[in-house]
Amino acid sequence: MVYWTQLWQRVNEPVLDLDSLLQVKPKLFDYIRLLVWYIVYSRRKSNDLQIAKSPELPQIHVFQDSTLSPESNLSMLRSWIGSGTLRSLRVRRLTRSSLSFPKAPFSSAPNRYLPASADRVPLRKQLKQEAKALRSHKRQRKETAEASREEWELTVGVEIHAQLDTETKLFSRAATSTSDTPNSNVALFDLAFPGSQPAFQIATLLPALRAAIALNCEIQPVSRFDRKHYFYQDQPAGYQITQYYEPFARNGYVDLFDYDGIAPEDGHSQIPGIPPSTQLLDFNRVSHPLIEIITMPQIHTPATAAACVRKLQAIVQSCGAVTTGMEMGGLRADVNVSVRRRGEEPGQYQYDGISGLGQRTEIKNLSSFKAVEDAIIAEKNRQIEVLESGGVIEGETRGWTIGSTETRRLRGKEGSVDYRYMPDPDIPPLIIGEDLLSSLRDSIPTAPDALLTLLVGSEFSLPIEDAKPLIELDNGARLEYYHDVVDILRTLQVDQDDKTRASLARVASNWVLHELGGLLAKADRAWDSEIVPARSLAHLIDHLQRKLITGPTAKQVLATIFDGDHRPVPQLLEEDNLLLRPLSREEYLALAESVIALNPQMVEQIRSKNQLGKLGWFVGQMMRTGEKGRVEAPKAEEILRELILG
Amino acid sequence: MSLLREAERCVANQYAHNFNTFITPLSRAGPWLDRVKEADVRKEEGKPKSAVDGRLISIKDNICTRDLPTTCASGILDKFTSPFNATVVDQLEAAGAIVAGKTNLDEFGMGSHSINSHFGPVKNPRRDSSGEDLSAGGSSGGSAASVAANQCYASLGTDTGGSVRLPAAYTGTVGFKPSYGLISRWGVVAYANSLDTVGILGKTTANVRDIFDILNQHDQRDPTSLSTSSRSRIQASLQTPQLASRLTSAPLRIGVPMEYNVSELTPSVRRAWALSLTHLREQGHTVHSVSLPDTKHALSTYYVVAPAEASSNLAKYDGVRYGTRAEGPDGDGKPDGYLFSNTRGQGFGPEVKRRIVLGTFTLSADAIDNYFIQAQRVRRLVQQDFNAVFTAKHPLALQSADKIANENDVDVIICPTAPSSPPQLSDLKSKSTKISPLDAYVTDVFTVPASLAGLPAISVPVTVSGEKDAELAGIQVIGQYGDDQLVLKVGEMLEGRHLD
Repeated sequence: MVYWTQLWQRVNEPVLDLDSLLQVKPKLFDYIRLLVWYIVYSRRKSNDLQIAKSPELPQIHVFQDSTLSPESNLSMLRSWIGSGTLRSLRVRRLTRSSLSFPKAPFSSAPNRYLPASADRVPLRKQLKQEAKALRSHKRQRKETAEASREEWELTVGVEIHAQLDTETKLFSRAATSTSDTPNSNVALFDLAFPGSQPAFQIATLLPALRAAIALNCEIQPVSRFDRKHYFYQDQPAGYQITQYYEPFARNGYVDLFDYDGIAPEDGHSQIPGIPPSTQLLDFNRVSHPLIEIITMPQIHTPATAAACVRKLQAIVQSCGAVTTGMEMGGLRADVNVSVRRRGEEPGQYQYDGISGLGQRTEIKNLSSFKAVEDAIIAEKNRQIEVLESGGVIEGETRGWTIGSTETRRLRGKEGSVDYRYMPDPDIPPLIIGEDLLSSLRDSIPTAPDALLTLLVGSEFSLPIEDAKPLIELDNGARLEYYHDVVDILRTLQVDQDDKTRASLARVASNWVLHELGGLLAKADRAWDSEIVPARSLAHLIDHLQRKLITGPTAKQVLATIFDGDHRPVPQLLEEDNLLLRPLSREEYLALAESVIALNPQMVEQIRSKNQLGKLGWFVGQMMRTGEKGRVEAPKAEEILRELILG
Repeated sequence: MSLLREAERCVANQYAHNFNTFITPLSRAGPWLDRVKEADVRKEEGKPKSAVDGRLISIKDNICTRDLPTTCASGILDKFTSPFNATVVDQLEAAGAIVAGKTNLDEFGMGSHSINSHFGPVKNPRRDSSGEDLSAGGSSGGSAASVAANQCYASLGTDTGGSVRLPAAYTGTVGFKPSYGLISRWGVVAYANSLDTVGILGKTTANVRDIFDILNQHDQRDPTSLSTSSRSRIQASLQTPQLASRLTSAPLRIGVPMEYNVSELTPSVRRAWALSLTHLREQGHTVHSVSLPDTKHALSTYYVVAPAEASSNLAKYDGVRYGTRAEGPDGDGKPDGYLFSNTRGQGFGPEVKRRIVLGTFTLSADAIDNYFIQAQRVRRLVQQDFNAVFTAKHPLALQSADKIANENDVDVIICPTAPSSPPQLSDLKSKSTKISPLDAYVTDVFTVPASLAGLPAISVPVTVSGEKDAELAGIQVIGQYGDDQLVLKVGEMLEGRHLD
């Protein structure tokens, strides 16, 4: 079990922020989505469920599965998030385990995945409220702060270090596994033994090149390795091997759109360039290969900087260069921040070819998107305050602790490290052939942006909220399945009119994401396109579209197939007698009258107090008492209105 | 004489003469005895493993051996034993040779007289007429002296700026530095990687050639080891009729660089040089003066490049994972203090510290353009100087860099190895006449250019009649990259000659 404090209370929390988790881990994103969907769905389905409010309990109970112990739930979540940064979450859970909720008292309820005790706020409502509170809180904060700082322009550049997905270290054959016994994956060179020499592992180049291609870089045919000297306890050689003078990739770019979460004032699209010193292959503290991605100082709002980091992570992950994101420490960001007063003389500093900037400071080692945003805000405010009180900004390196409100000085210019970059005399230049590049370019997956454009475009017309998860879920497998379903469905519906056919893509996405996704989450099963073959789902939707079955029937059949019924859909519907045989008007009237007769007082309420909502209850009663799969809700309501309201 | 008898004699000499040649001598009794006996059997059967089967070869103490410590003559590694053998050690052992102990050197190879050692200075087995102890040269002084004192059959040293050739010249032995990249450096403790070369010391050029043939192999563990394909290219480039004939009969064109006739040359060395050239001319070869104009910058270039690389290479010695740590807590007692300031302060000798500081400076942001980067440019000029005078073009140079043939092109260059005879150890050490580090650096003036260009060079001993008695001098032969066999051949022509 994991308890989430209300979102707006978690704004400055040092442990985990939902925002980051949602963004970085598609799986978790999916999971939360489905949880939300569950509440919505089950509310719709069983409208007799009452959930009360409990103001004294601030936690949202996100997940409770009666078949899983709290412990195994946690371990499940942990396996998604990884073990590293979650240590504090584990502690949180233990300290709050006394608040764990009792099991659901209504085991007969159609859905066991609901907030379980009677004193809980409906999750959907609470999420909504919190999101609203968060928004207004943010807006308020922003408004007051921005008003006084309007006259200052912020400039931010981002530097990202991402661990490449490789089997070996960069310069030795030792494995990169971090879960093994300490020091079991160490070669002589990793420990800087006298007389040992680096052995460049050519395979590490592949993910690095994929990232460079995905970031639209110019790949250099020849690049070289340099030594960057500084003493650090777990850096045995006293230097890091990197590409400083001649990196292998330069001049890339990344497009930021408003759906990436850039600040509204940054307009619709931004392209922070990546300057000449783009990407460096690195040996990090544990000797894992890293890529370094440096943007030009072209970003002017904190939110956009965070969006840029998020986007970069998504890109390097989707191209298969990097597997562990920020939440697992596989990705770290440094930001450089400067401000200058608008309308005044341009600043005297120049970075990466962009001149006229103010003195910048660098904030090192930010480990979440929120930290990126918050640290920039704090540093911007600090610099403005210093400058407005007549002070001078010093070029220094600063740090940021999650949850704090100000950056802190780490070392100044005088304490800055002279890395004494020297070409490594042992490592030959890296020569990258065009043949390798073209084969990598051919095999690289379509960029998420391109997929998104396709899905929201006229061919599919999906809303962004659906298109994004389709792309992000299951490493693209869900999207592939979706395409299969749509293709089959379009063939099946070839006789239908254009308007109906145009709506198919949207209908299919609903079924693939929400209906099928809901079943997966409920059964806690990983994605597998064979559980419900695309053909079956397409046939099911086809029948529904043609009104040959009712919606509830379609959902029920989907669950049947999901549970292992392999019969073709037409045969299944036939054999189980599920095809809709419309009731006659007489049958509807008889059914409605019998229901009305049993509940005269409710009829009275509807008539006297005009409580039209209760009509729905009668519809439900008709569907329940009527022959299974034959009562169509709209028709039932029509008859009821006629009988009750006249 | 049987191999066993020869080996026992060598070991006896190791213990009899106190020239401080060995940091770790071979124990008198050990498994090596059986291995030599087995080699004797193979020799009698006429099936020796190689030319060095059963021979004792001493190893400079900056080359890693699993069975004996590898101290680099440094306090920071004074008890260090490497967990692995250098490739060259494995190659020699596979050929039947026995590691004859680890020889003394200048700490990490930094020095020209083998006096910068944690284990005390090496003494030259030769003495001057007054009976004073002489410098054995450095930094492979222990290796050269162990050969000269018959404490081994041959020795492996390392040559970064002349560290094999200079001691050979001072001790009257043959010292060969092959082309850079031919012999594996895996397991050779780096001083300046781009210059470090394993070198071979022996009594005769023939002995040296035998060992070179064993070690001249590609090693995939050394990223700077020449690939098999590059080796083939070199061989192919030497197969042209004009170049191939030089190893057989054709008269050679011998180059004499004008710029090497420096004022620091002592008369006896200048005489030895002149007589060597006369000797070669008498053999039918022709002598031509050549110009290597950038040689005068070579020494300063070397003393920028080598310390820069050294400062980087030596950053790893902190006594944490291996090596000797200073007594007591390190890091100035501060929790965030460096964990190795005392350890490095105590572990390194003064010359090593001097070069680390020098290298750190030349790499620093403010100095790198004027020093390190400038030095790299000059290094390129020095290479071009050599390419301009050799008949054979650099076999690994870009195809486009076609050499313009010049009628004054030469096959090899002949020059002295050192500008003077070995100085007295007492002079090097005494306070009054103490030679400044700069003076010591001048000793390398003739050896450094070949190191900067990665060229093969050999120092062979010749004797000339002096004022009182015969004087020994080292004559150096330098060839084009990859022309190692020719260099050895010319060395052989001069080696051991008594010239009048």
